[in-house]
Amino acid sequence: MSLKRTAALICLSVLVVSGCTRERSSTKRLAFITNNAADFWTIARKGTEKADAELADVTVEFRLGDGTAAAQKRIVDDLLATGVDGLAISPVDPANQTAMLNDAARQALVFTHDSDAPDSRRECYVGTDNVAAGRQAGDLIKEALPQGGTIAIFVGKLDARNAQERLQGIKESIAGSKVTIVDVRTDDTDQVRAKANVSEMLVSHPDVAALVGLWSYNGPAILNAVRDAGKIGQVRIVAFDEDDETLTGVKAGAIVGTVVQQPYEFGYQSITLLATVLKGNRSGIPPGRQVFIPTQVIRQNNVDEFRTKLTQLRGR
Amino acid sequence: MKKELATFVLLVVLCAIVAALNPRFISLANLQNTARLIGAFGIFSVGLGMVIITGGIDLSVGSAFALLGVLLAMMLTEWHIAWPVAVLLTIALGALLGAFHGLLITRLGLQPFIVTLCGLLLYRGLARFIADDETKGFGDAAGFQALQRLATGSVVHVPTPFVALVAVSTVMWVVLHRSVYGRHLFATGRNEIAARYSGINPRRVIVIAYVILGVLTGIAAIVFAFYTNSVSPSSHGNFFELYGIAAAVLGGCSLRGGEGSIIGILLGTTLLQVLQNLVNLLGIPSSLNFAVMGGVILVGVVGDQVWQRRSARAPAG
Repeated sequence: MSLKRTAALICLSVLVVSGCTRERSSTKRLAFITNNAADFWTIARKGTEKADAELADVTVEFRLGDGTAAAQKRIVDDLLATGVDGLAISPVDPANQTAMLNDAARQALVFTHDSDAPDSRRECYVGTDNVAAGRQAGDLIKEALPQGGTIAIFVGKLDARNAQERLQGIKESIAGSKVTIVDVRTDDTDQVRAKANVSEMLVSHPDVAALVGLWSYNGPAILNAVRDAGKIGQVRIVAFDEDDETLTGVKAGAIVGTVVQQPYEFGYQSITLLATVLKGNRSGIPPGRQVFIPTQVIRQNNVDEFRTKLTQLRGR
Repeated sequence: MKKELATFVLLVVLCAIVAALNPRFISLANLQNTARLIGAFGIFSVGLGMVIITGGIDLSVGSAFALLGVLLAMMLTEWHIAWPVAVLLTIALGALLGAFHGLLITRLGLQPFIVTLCGLLLYRGLARFIADDETKGFGDAAGFQALQRLATGSVVHVPTPFVALVAVSTVMWVVLHRSVYGRHLFATGRNEIAARYSGINPRRVIVIAYVILGVLTGIAAIVFAFYTNSVSPSSHGNFFELYGIAAAVLGGCSLRGGEGSIIGILLGTTLLQVLQNLVNLLGIPSSLNFAVMGGVILVGVVGDQVWQRRSARAPAG
């Protein structure tokens, strides 16, 4: 190989490399990582797609987790290895993923969404204030049980932060009222067990006045078990999230109401905020570093309107 | 018979204790709830027991529930296939998966653990992909209410899944304990080579066992799908194969093959469901659910082993 040709090659490679870096600095690669593959994230995805379409100099990747911290670590490592500029993640196990989030924060701009990891070096959190959501559910319970009564609560796992916070919100709301919690049952996201837990609660506590489901599939599980027991109307139901069956139950009056989050906004606001911060504008990050997206209470009177909106968002 | 007796005694003692602590245990509503679950879990546990008797195993049952459940929901609510056809297709697909496992195991000589571990991953992934990671529900079952009633209803207060289990286990009892095939199955499980030398076709015997499991998985998939009324592809049926394996082992099936009985598997299934029921009825924290199950299974297995050793020594000494 002649000296000239070598020099030309070097020049060429420098050009290519600088070309690449220049391209990277103009178009930002952003990623949105979920904790699992629930329907919820289909809506969040639409929000990220909207942001992607609106922002010219941004590409957005959407990655579904499988409910494990290991899968998230693999996803984050892969993204960092391919030079992602910013990512928003819903950590499965925030307390023990701090190290991973901090590692990622050294190489890219890191947000948490849906579930926060306040001890990590994440720049900002975008998501629900689950304690406030719990309080809304507590208010629904008090409204359904003006005379007071006993309630039982159902959830997949109690060591999940959102479950803890929602439960705390409910407890805050019913404190001082005549409503008392008799039990909290978990099902490890096994939906057969979720329904069996409710059926068995109706047997062991025949006087229970209301049942609350903290995770999206708990609403339908409660509804089906109460229906099988012939106790619709007699046992009041309060749910979270917007499962189709839950909304049908709200519409029919079998469920008092459901507290819903706005996953679309998680997706949209995470991506737009990541993009503006990467451009150097940090004004969108509040002093507490938490952007709360309010939860809504869906009852019989506004369920149709909500459903129409949801159908549009899901693109069905 | 002794193994079944040990499980039976354990079950009776447990039921007596729970009924004494909370009389609602024997209320009609609770018996119905528990019978429904025993029915659903029993149907596939019987099939899994047959496979275990051949010396095999199937780890893919839970994932198959997700795949078959998602397809059933889509056939009924999106493709609007007549429900009897959808039911037959679901069971046929279950049988096909069973035949696929059986052929890989017998023709290629692959280990059942590996084949069905791959099935566990493959079917879960397919279920999620086909459903586009969305929960597939039956809603108000418009157009197939008859099927919903059949899967979730009762016959004179007895839940239909339990009735189905009684029918399935009667047939399988005849097949396993009174038919030539049953004898071949035990012989193959005990010693495949010896079975072959005595004129049995072990390959055929094994493939048939996996197909039987496939058919029963298909039936159970329909029951589970209607029990929850919706199928979330990422979590539906997770780990259910372990309930089946535990029930079979509790009921006296040996994981080495060649041993087991239908009565034993039924007792094992019942014990597992009663254990979960008692956790809720006695207000034991949900967090202890698995610990209670694991502890009692261990007591059962240890008790059985001690009993066997003693009875083995007794005639000699």
